[in-house]
Amino acid sequence: MITVHANFHSHFKELASTGEASFQIETPTVEALAESICEAYGPKMEAMLIDPDTHELNERGTMFVDAKGMRISMGDQLSDGDTITFLVGIAGG
Amino acid sequence: MESRLLRVDLTTGKMRSEVIPHSVFERWIGGSGINNWIMWEHFLTHDINCDPRGPDNIFVFGVGPLAGTGAGSGIKGRITFKSPCYNMFGDSAGGGKFPYMLRFTAFEYIAITGKSPKPVYLHICNDEVSLVDASHLWGRDTLETHTMLREELGTYPSHAHTLSISQAGENQVGIASVVSDALRIHARCGGGAVMGSKNLKAIAVQGNGGLKIQMPEEMLAWSDDFRQKIDENEAVYGFKRRGTLGAVEMYQHIGSHFWRNNQGNMFRGGEITSDNWVKKYHKYSEVCSSDCFIACDAKYKIDGTESEAAKKYIGETFRRPEYLTTGSAAGALDVRDWSEVAHWGKITNDYGIDNQDLSCAISFLMELKQRDLISDSDVAELFDREQSLRWGNMDDIEFCVESIVFQKNLFGKIFGDGPYLGAIRYSELKGQNFMKYATYGKGGASFTEEMRPFPTWMNNMAVASRGADHLKGIGLIEKFQRKDLSKIYFDGRTEAADLSVPTLKGASTALIENQVALLNSYGVCLFHWMLDPAGYTPQDYYGKAYAAATGIDRTPDELMLDGARICNLEKAFNSRIGMRREHDTVCERWMWEPTDEGMYPGSVAAEMFNPVLDEYYEWRGWDKDSGLQTRKSLEDVGLGDVADVLENEGSLA
Ligand code: SF4
Repeated sequence: MITVHANFHSHFKELASTGEASFQIETPTVEALAESICEAYGPKMEAMLIDPDTHELNERGTMFVDAKGMRISMGDQLSDGDTITFLVGIAGG
Repeated sequence: MESRLLRVDLTTGKMRSEVIPHSVFERWIGGSGINNWIMWEHFLTHDINCDPRGPDNIFVFGVGPLAGTGAGSGIKGRITFKSPCYNMFGDSAGGGKFPYMLRFTAFEYIAITGKSPKPVYLHICNDEVSLVDASHLWGRDTLETHTMLREELGTYPSHAHTLSISQAGENQVGIASVVSDALRIHARCGGGAVMGSKNLKAIAVQGNGGLKIQMPEEMLAWSDDFRQKIDENEAVYGFKRRGTLGAVEMYQHIGSHFWRNNQGNMFRGGEITSDNWVKKYHKYSEVCSSDCFIACDAKYKIDGTESEAAKKYIGETFRRPEYLTTGSAAGALDVRDWSEVAHWGKITNDYGIDNQDLSCAISFLMELKQRDLISDSDVAELFDREQSLRWGNMDDIEFCVESIVFQKNLFGKIFGDGPYLGAIRYSELKGQNFMKYATYGKGGASFTEEMRPFPTWMNNMAVASRGADHLKGIGLIEKFQRKDLSKIYFDGRTEAADLSVPTLKGASTALIENQVALLNSYGVCLFHWMLDPAGYTPQDYYGKAYAAATGIDRTPDELMLDGARICNLEKAFNSRIGMRREHDTVCERWMWEPTDEGMYPGSVAAEMFNPVLDEYYEWRGWDKDSGLQTRKSLEDVGLGDVADVLENEGSLA
């Protein structure tokens, strides 16, 4: 069991009704974290987080990064104490 | 597909209507592609090295074939001209209802040349056109001009929709913009100065004609599918709520803002670092164009309770600031109050002036003051008064804006063409080299985001046909680290999404430039595509809508070639006026000064700049030494005739 911290921004924050949360997950993977988050916050969060066609992390208008600013993918491993940040990916205007 | 072009010679007052034949659409798609071709042909018989503020310059407005068809992908009109501030190819997109209403008249393209002996506006009412005295509008800002024209022209056959300039355009300020319906700005490259130089205050359109869609059934089916896709994309709901301000928190997290003239890359100070203000205070939503399934636009109205500063703006209402309005105010100028940021957006719109150029010019000077490189008396010399030039001081900033708009003083005159020429002129005036504090690419003002960690963005800034630009290349594969996109476009390779290597960055620029050229030529908004660039591909998914609207059925590969053709024509324009590889560069700050905060510290453009630029030329088939096009590269995209012109003028590799 590891603990992973999640930072939610913009639309993610609204869906989670919080900017931060911690999750205890059995398997140290992004996939397990994503499952926990969907379970905690329901179908809208799932729609934001998971691509229904590929079951990968949703790439459309989103950005999920580790502490070094690198985008994470479903298959990535996590370590105890990691922080993952959930952002919307948009630019310009 | 057939469309009409209205040609207006303001010197003689003569106007004529021309049919744009199907073959032109087959070659140039529409929108920006056709605008470019109209300008190219114009400069085959007029001196391309003419003064952009002189009567020989041309001002083209065009709207692409998907606009207003019910496709739901937003509508963007485009203005195209030789830029008075950068002295190269210039164009700028804008939304609002003007472009869509133009399609409901007899025309979709307008080409204006010459110079009117007195201020006029062009009135298009279905197929009737007239030049009307505009002396009562001269001296008005864009909101007043729009309001007066609406009243004056009545509601038949429709409300009037307008494109207008403010006092900045009248004064031929290089960075003056053109504003659609007093709300949506064609900000870049100084189209307002071109209109002003022609004594053209506004264009007003009224129409109730219809649009002809070649394959209506197919169009409806496409539109239904698109609507469903948009509705299923949860990220769209977040985007509706915040528009591009959703980027504020992301950029704050990774360090991608442009703070104090890009001395840093994080916003400072409380609420400005998040998008909470927008959620709390934006008052009502609206769609910027009439044909958009997203509707990211919204308005605010300040009631004075939001903050201490907000008391200055009670009752003020305007569009919610977009990211770059925020980036320029909260970033470049370090304004920390949201109501002041919103006010910045409003004044730059009403004065019809590009807030990217403006903020880079003002923040350049603020940095000189911060570093004690200029004294209080130097500042007084520029402004004819004391001016603190303190970061974030909105009163000072507003005076800087007015100085430029009304050409009040030396500052206004020196910096009216943006930060690059402003910095050169000011360095000359003071006998000192201040260029290391100016932020620009290829002579164009920066867009106010941190770009040094992103090699594709840096390449975009260096090669964009209209100077530093985020809307020609768009480094989204890399910025959002989209390995999936990289794999799709580069045979399963992922390097385009990897920030640490130069590989596939120049290739990404070329690829996305071609795609964006297509979207700009269809006449749609870029945001729909940006929300799912793998799903709504310009050459494939949008290509079907284009076929339905025009009857021109192209394979995705053919459409990509069309996109490349459009980009090559913009490049050829700049080659004709003498631009070469040495112009495809970025400012010293980006090149050599490392970032020292955010998630990617220590980044400088120089690390990967040349290999990326070389790769870009390779992908384009251009000569790496001179940066010029080769005959083969032009013939490959069906531009043998353009190669002939360049060869005759010694501008072909
Ligand atoms: S997405 Fe936003 S900017 Fe684009 S057309 Fe729609 S409302 Fe306008």
